[in-house]
Parts: sequence; C-alpha cells; structure tokens
Amino acid sequence: MSEIYVITSGKGGVGKTTTTANLGMGLAMRGKKVVLVDTDTGLRNLDLMLGLENRIMYDLIDVTEGRVAFKKALVRHKKYENLFLLPTSQVKDKMSVNPEQLVKLCDELRREFDYILIDCPAGIEQGFKTAIAAADTALVVTMPEIAAVRDADKIIGELGRADKDNIKLIVNRIRPSMVESGEMLDMDDINDILSLDCIGQVPDDIKVVTAANKGEPCVASDDSQAGQAYRNIVSRMLGEDVPFMDFHKEGWWTRLKHMFRR
Amino acid sequence: MSEDIVKIKGTSLGLQLSFAPEASFEDVRENLRQKLESGTTFFLRGTLVLIPRDVFMGSERDELQHLFHEYGLICRTQKPEAEKVQKPETKAPAPTPQPASPPVNEPEDLKPQEMVVVNKTLRGGQEIRTKSSVLVCGNVNPGAQIIAGGSIDIRGTCRGMVHAGAYGDSTAFIIADHLMPTQIRISNLIARSPDEMEKTDRAERASIKDGQIVIEPIERQDKTI
Repeated sequence: MSEIYVITSGKGGVGKTTTTANLGMGLAMRGKKVVLVDTDTGLRNLDLMLGLENRIMYDLIDVTEGRVAFKKALVRHKKYENLFLLPTSQVKDKMSVNPEQLVKLCDELRREFDYILIDCPAGIEQGFKTAIAAADTALVVTMPEIAAVRDADKIIGELGRADKDNIKLIVNRIRPSMVESGEMLDMDDINDILSLDCIGQVPDDIKVVTAANKGEPCVASDDSQAGQAYRNIVSRMLGEDVPFMDFHKEGWWTRLKHMFRR
Repeated sequence: MSEDIVKIKGTSLGLQLSFAPEASFEDVRENLRQKLESGTTFFLRGTLVLIPRDVFMGSERDELQHLFHEYGLICRTQKPEAEKVQKPETKAPAPTPQPASPPVNEPEDLKPQEMVVVNKTLRGGQEIRTKSSVLVCGNVNPGAQIIAGGSIDIRGTCRGMVHAGAYGDSTAFIIADHLMPTQIRISNLIARSPDEMEKTDRAERASIKDGQIVIEPIERQDKTI
C-alpha cells in the first residue's frame, strides 16, 4: 500500500526541500520505490538537491495539463534505480496547479510507487493548499526558533482545517550547544506549544550544506550526524522503533574526532 | 375634547389605542402624555399597548415608542386587521435604534445561553467568537483568539488572546491551568502580561475586581485533563 507524505513547514528556510530529498533517498536506499513531487512551482529546488537539474525534460505542469504522461516527466536518480523525481516548472507560478489535478495525479502515482513525498512551498496560500490536498500524512518541519515554531503551529491548524489529522513533527537544524546553554528552544519548549508526535530531530550539520551543493543528500554519507538522523526518520517511517539520538552526550573527545575526520 | 383624540380599549392582549383621524401627531403625543401622567390604572407597568400600524410612521412611531417606554409600557404596532393576534415578526423597530453600539441595554442578550466546547488545541490564527461561554479542552496557542460573551475556561495552557464578557458582561472570568496569555480582556478592560512571565503550577482565575483585572490562583477539583 503506497503512502503519500507532504513535507510542509509554514516558514521558509527550515529545510523542507532538504528533508524531502533526504527522506526520499533514505527510503530508496531501503529498497522502496519512491517518487518525490516538487510542488514549489516557480522556485523549484528539489532537483538541485538530488543533482538532477540537467536531466529535466518535462515538468509537473506538463503532466497536470495533460501534455505528457507522468511517466515521461519522471526523472530517475543517477544512483538509485527506484528513486524518481517529478520536478516542477521554473517559469510558471503556484497558481498553475490546482488541488484536484494533484489528487488525480497522486492517485495514478499510487499504483506505481510505495512512497510519494510531496515537497510543499512555504506559506499558507494556494500552493500549500494544493500540496496538502492528496496527502495521507503531513510531516511538519520546524526548527528551534520562535518564528518557525509559531508558523508550524499555524500550519498544523490549517492542516486540521483541511481534515489532515495525521501529522508528524521533524525538528531540523538543532544546535546542541546552543540548546544546552539555553539560547535555543529545546524539545520541551517545542512540544509545549505544538504537542505533536515527533519522528525526527536533526542536528545542524555543515555536511548538509556541502551535500546539497554537490547534489548528494547527506543521508547517504555515513560520517554525518544529520545523515544518521535522517536514516533514523526513515526507519521510523517504515514502522521501526528507533531511539532518538542524544546530541548532548557528544563530548569534546568525539567532537575532536569529528574534526579530524573532516 | 381630549378624549376624542386618543381612544383606549382594553383587550385580552393589553390596551388597544385608536386615534382620531384628523388629529395631528403633536396633539396625539400631548394627549397621550397627559393620560400617562394622570396615573390611571390603565397604564400599569409592563402593559402591552397596541397602536394601529398605518397611522404613524418612522420617527413619529419611534417617538411614541420612547414615550411608552418612559412609563414602562411595551408598545407594539398592530397589523391593519385589528383583531389579529400579534406575531413577533410584526414588532416595530427596536426601542434602541443604534445596533452599532455594544448591546449593553439588552439584558436578555447578555445572558450566556449555552457553552461552546472546543475539544482540541487552538492553533495560531484560529479564532472562536461567540456570545456564550467557552470551554477549551486543550491549549490556546500564541496567535489564537477567543472572544466570548460569557466566561472562558481553558483546561490547558493559555498563551493566546482571550476576551471574556466581550459584550459588556463585567462579571465574566477566565480560568486556565496555566494562564500566560499575551493579553487578557474582560468586558472593556485590557491587561497585558508582564514582560517577564512567571510560571505557576496552579490554575489561575482572572476576573474584574474594583475596576481592574485581578489574577488569583484557584484550586481545581478535577485535574483529569
């Protein structure tokens, strides 16, 4: 049975696209057949994260407007046979796709794929409403910052209004040292406001940036903390019970080791 | 002479007035005022007075309404068929013709009729607006608003904006397990939270005392939610 996830956040820049790319690749690494659908029309980035920009022939708009079959628009990943991307248009805007079109498309994709991950645009306008229309589960990405948490709260409210009750939380870009010194919100503060089931805590890792620049999501690299966190989320999505990583335990010795390994 | 301008007849409903067709409005008004002043037992407080519908219109009718109100009488305009029982729809314009002003002088509207129960957390951007009281089983997050005619009870943490007694009821109150809203409003008073928020473990109750909003800890019997 295929599952449709929408990755959403409210605030921009918290790592929706990075999360989509990493989780998609993580699921593909576990042998699932995955398609990533970029709905951030006009500001597409998901193809960059996966290093597939130069292979795009057709896009989401071509498919929803019936110019090509979705199979023609899908871009297969270089390394992972069962990871596909359905990119979106760089020239059209978010009004070009409506919720009904996306629901229809997802119904077709459901027959082919195990997991469908939809990358949602920031904000709560039309693009958001389109992106969430077909989803079974929403993954709300936030980071330990007051504006991001507030916007996540608003998004959860909007999801509730759209009758999407299956919502999971991913807290991205945690800086353990700042949390420890009380400069950053900790998980308790976030839980206090959002009271959501959390399936992922991802540390802020410079590897994420270098990986994104190279078009290779960090989920594939063994020596990245964030990559490990993403692999844990993938396991939880597959129904496994994985304990959360404890960033606080990382003492100066491990930190030193990390430094040398870089 | 004055008897002929306004005729009063007792019916099962109340008093029925009829006016001499040639009388001017000023005459009628003066005549009625005299009759009301005279203190006849006809005009007991709360008596329903029926006036013919088609005789006086607009401002004249409003003026008559005011006149009767001064003496505690309820005035209704009649349908042209005089014998018909009055239906509520045929009611003349309300005695206070300023719907824009807060309905302070309509006591029956003030009484909270029922309670709105919200069985979820109110998220940022969500709003509850009601004339009755509100019970929230969940949190009220920053950015959420509750505007209630009655009181507000929050079984959880209140961080949003809460306004109790929004239609003028200054006896309304706000209770929350953790009361830390950005702003509290009761009736026409506004209080904002201190810049340094202190955390309390006990439920708190905000109400108006001596013209200002006072917050005091209370003991809740059931801590189930």
